[in-house]
Amino acid sequence: MTKPLIALGLEGSANKLGVGIIRHPPHPISSFKPRPPAEILSNIRHTYNAPPGEGFLPKDTAQHHRQHVASLVQQSLAEANLTSSDIDVICYTKGPGMGAPLQSVAIAARTLSLMWNKPMVGVNHCIGHIEMGREITGATNPVVLYVSGGNTQVIAYSNQRYRIFGETLDIAVGNCLDRFARTLCIPNDPAPGYNIEQLAKKGNILLDLPYAVKGMDCSFSGILAKCDEYAAQMAKGTLTDPNTGEKITPEDLCFTLQETVFSMLVEITERAMAHVGSNQVLIVGGVGCNERVQEMMGSMAGERGGSVYATDERFCIDNGIMIAHAGLLAYSIGQTTDLVDCTCTQRFRTDDVWIGWRND
Amino acid sequence: MAPTLDPDFPCSLPSTVDVPLPDHRLASTALRALQVDAELSPLVRRDFSLVATESQGEQSILRTEYKATTNRMLRVAVNGFMESLGVVLQVMEELDVDVLAAR
Repeated sequence: MTKPLIALGLEGSANKLGVGIIRHPPHPISSFKPRPPAEILSNIRHTYNAPPGEGFLPKDTAQHHRQHVASLVQQSLAEANLTSSDIDVICYTKGPGMGAPLQSVAIAARTLSLMWNKPMVGVNHCIGHIEMGREITGATNPVVLYVSGGNTQVIAYSNQRYRIFGETLDIAVGNCLDRFARTLCIPNDPAPGYNIEQLAKKGNILLDLPYAVKGMDCSFSGILAKCDEYAAQMAKGTLTDPNTGEKITPEDLCFTLQETVFSMLVEITERAMAHVGSNQVLIVGGVGCNERVQEMMGSMAGERGGSVYATDERFCIDNGIMIAHAGLLAYSIGQTTDLVDCTCTQRFRTDDVWIGWRND
Repeated sequence: MAPTLDPDFPCSLPSTVDVPLPDHRLASTALRALQVDAELSPLVRRDFSLVATESQGEQSILRTEYKATTNRMLRVAVNGFMESLGVVLQVMEELDVDVLAAR
């Protein structure tokens, strides 16, 4: 039997500061049996939101993380009823993400590691999302759609790498939605994408937007530009439905944007599924919380005789537990990151990570 | 001792930043944690060292010397260092092994 292992995970690559503590129960060493489920001992988060009409800037976000990281770790330990000696490894987000916020969390992680005399593992944020999604949903070998404010990738596993099949050529789909929320001055609390989703539910007129799927990839900046144009016309009162002459509302614009970008995501995901011969889709990342994208993906997967797996906001939205989990998977096969290598990097490709803990 | 003037980096702090910590262990922890991040700009040079206090003889003072090509770069770098130092100190204060044990 292996030893039980407990990891502390710290995440801060964007505006969410997350701390999580996870336990991997002991299991027989034979690798053919599925592992028992991981136990989530604590998963807490503190989000920095800019005022409506603005986005979060690296400097302010980093300051927010610096202010809250110590107390969040303390809270997390208290919730898990653990102390420093119970933790086996400290995991932190190495990248990708925003430089200053990443560094503000990494320095806290390093300090803990030195004070508590524990090893560290630097984790790729995208791998964190994927591995947590697999753990929570039990999806065995899905095509993964990773969609957030910072990333948009279609991923499939092969030979110990999560391979990127398709991705955005410019901005992430979540970034497109978030920036449109700024254009409309929609509040950023709890998340701009969430507020756009609520407005979209009340919209029903579908305007024309460029549909920018390019093979396995897609692009969103042109769509955002067109949507911003529409918003300007709407503000002037000149934007009407070409068919009925009805005035277009912000709800209609949100609806139009969501329907268009989500259709694009469904298309590139389906293309990857056809290529790989899979009918399971796992959606991870903040945009994965969106019920409409889950619904549209579900229709497509259903038509192919498959299904969609998604997690709730505890795991979809950036969190510390996914970092703890992915880090612990690496640690369990003997990987650690030396202190001098516990740096951060804004660019860190998903397929750069060797997935040694999978044998399939 | 004032740092010697480096002609390539004419803007130095008039004195070094000395942060007294309770003991050598914590001073060493702070140094090792802070040292990992390289300075972002090639226009800035930073040096960390541990210095003994006069009274105790234990090396419990973290000494940081900054040199830069311009005053602006110096200010930016030192401000950044202070922010990171703040996190290190707060984490030490609230989460050291003995602090947690006492809760």
